[in-house]
Amino acid sequence: MKTTKVNFLAVLLLTAAFGALAIQARGQTTSGAQASSAPLNAPLNIKDANPPSPADQAKGDPGGTLTGTVSDVPASDSKKGLTLGDAINQIGQNKVAVNFVWTLVTGFLVMFMQAGFALVETGLCRAKNANHTMMMNFMVYGFGLFAYWVCGFAFQMGGVGATANLGGTAPLTGELVRHWFGKDWGLIGTHGFFLSQAGTYDVGVMVLFLFQMVFMDTAATIVTGAAAERWKFAAFAISSVFLAAFTYPIFGNWAWGGGWLSQLGANFGLGHGYCDFAGSGVVHAVGGITALAVSMIIGARIGKYNRNGSSNAMPGHDIVIVLTGCFILAFGWFGFNPGSTLGASGNGALRIGSIAVNTMLAGCTGSFGALFYMWLRYGKPDASMAGNGLLAGLVAITAPSGFVNTIGAAIIGFLAGLLVCLSVEYFDRRARVDDPVGAISVHGACGLWGVISVGLFADGKSNYGGSWNGVAGSVTGLFYGDPSQLVAQLVGVATLVGFVFSLSYVFNLFVDYFVGQRVSAESELEGLDIPEMGALGYPEFVLKTYRQDMPHGQAHATAPSVLASTLVGA
Amino acid sequence: MKILGLLVIVVGWLLAVGSVLVTASLTARLILCILGFALSVFGILKILNGAYLKQAIWKQ
Repeated sequence: MKTTKVNFLAVLLLTAAFGALAIQARGQTTSGAQASSAPLNAPLNIKDANPPSPADQAKGDPGGTLTGTVSDVPASDSKKGLTLGDAINQIGQNKVAVNFVWTLVTGFLVMFMQAGFALVETGLCRAKNANHTMMMNFMVYGFGLFAYWVCGFAFQMGGVGATANLGGTAPLTGELVRHWFGKDWGLIGTHGFFLSQAGTYDVGVMVLFLFQMVFMDTAATIVTGAAAERWKFAAFAISSVFLAAFTYPIFGNWAWGGGWLSQLGANFGLGHGYCDFAGSGVVHAVGGITALAVSMIIGARIGKYNRNGSSNAMPGHDIVIVLTGCFILAFGWFGFNPGSTLGASGNGALRIGSIAVNTMLAGCTGSFGALFYMWLRYGKPDASMAGNGLLAGLVAITAPSGFVNTIGAAIIGFLAGLLVCLSVEYFDRRARVDDPVGAISVHGACGLWGVISVGLFADGKSNYGGSWNGVAGSVTGLFYGDPSQLVAQLVGVATLVGFVFSLSYVFNLFVDYFVGQRVSAESELEGLDIPEMGALGYPEFVLKTYRQDMPHGQAHATAPSVLASTLVGA
Repeated sequence: MKILGLLVIVVGWLLAVGSVLVTASLTARLILCILGFALSVFGILKILNGAYLKQAIWKQ
């Protein structure tokens, strides 16, 4: 009986205790729910934030302490006043605004690189072709922009999906996908023609378009350097439009627009798929490889090679504007690489500091590499080849800039500086592909090296929102433990060399057949300014006559200054 | 020769892309990719460029 009483009391106490706990928990839940919903819509007492009084503001704000306060946060309902929801919305818009401004301003820097290319290429050509070379660099901007607006952007980025840093870019969801070999292969984008179709009249899409457009134009202008001094202007125009509308966007889609190269990681376990942070492959190698195709079709300039195959130096007319152009390009590269985060806030975008330093370093060590090579091989450090090395280093670091540390960046740049010298010598003396500005070596060869270097030097420390190309974790190269990334990069390199070259070559062969790629020998000897453009670049200068440009059995160019002055890349 | 060069270039590319389909071995994929890349480069610089050099303007 006594035991029964004790048990009854125990049950009673436990019931009371659990009941009290349950009531307390319910109370907390209720108050928690109130805490999570009510204040978002409830008006805030902005006086708690100590806003400046109108009287204080009327006195001016020399110290900058009264400007940019709670008074500047707009209320969605003026009758209700400012709410927590308004404040949170303002935070979101500020984040996207920071990213918009960052992406636009870096895009403007990249646009200014066109001026750098124009100066470098024109300076490396002879004065009699100055107007023509300058006009190609000038008009490639317009031709490229128009074609990219019509269809290039849609083909490239039409199916990229949401770009979180730019607020979503929700309309870009159209990708032509084919299911082959058990996997999805993204082939080409389908949204965004004329920036109007499929809801792409959108602020985020506009920002993405501007940034991607100036990248495309960089690729397009590379070709003009390699084909300079003998390219028919009409053929240049058609070829540039094709590159902007098809060649660049197709490879760009595969690499950046959600296409099959970017999915090599998710589909086949190859690291994070093809990784090209800012475009060593997408931009520079596409331009450089197209330049190779066009240069082969057009052939060498008259007087470049003697009958025995030895080459003659054909020095440019203004090394001052060449090196000024190199500096402008190096400046613009700070838009190229750090801007490729598409933002400065969120998703690991603060890595822009690291990316900018990597860019600086690789350009610096690239110039070292070229300088040392020339010094050791020819006995003199050569200024123009140092500029060549600077550009080579910058091209090479473009793909890995977001994934490597400073040691990796310095090594990548230095090796690019050496590579560009070797490549220039190879194309000039062995392959006998005439490239007045060295564009094939600087952008083609060093662009491919940049793509490969991601698979070697990516250190696994970057973290852009926790994943890249849909694969969780950081991009890691062979030297840091992931050999599969190198394979993904090599598939990309093979695609650049095999697919991009073939497409560019076949199309330019058609242009050659129907329009003709090369000017007449008379025009070339006279200089293209008058025959092609109708006006001289330097009308008050006395130019050499064509007879002085003809080969006279000149000795093979060996002096470094003579070699280099013809071969700085653009 | 130009058509042959173009074929070799494309075959090199397909070899590299095909490497991810025909084998799961990383080493085999790596080797096939390098082979494909080298084949494409050979097609461009030796076969195709060689064809152009035969009729180069400076030889005429």
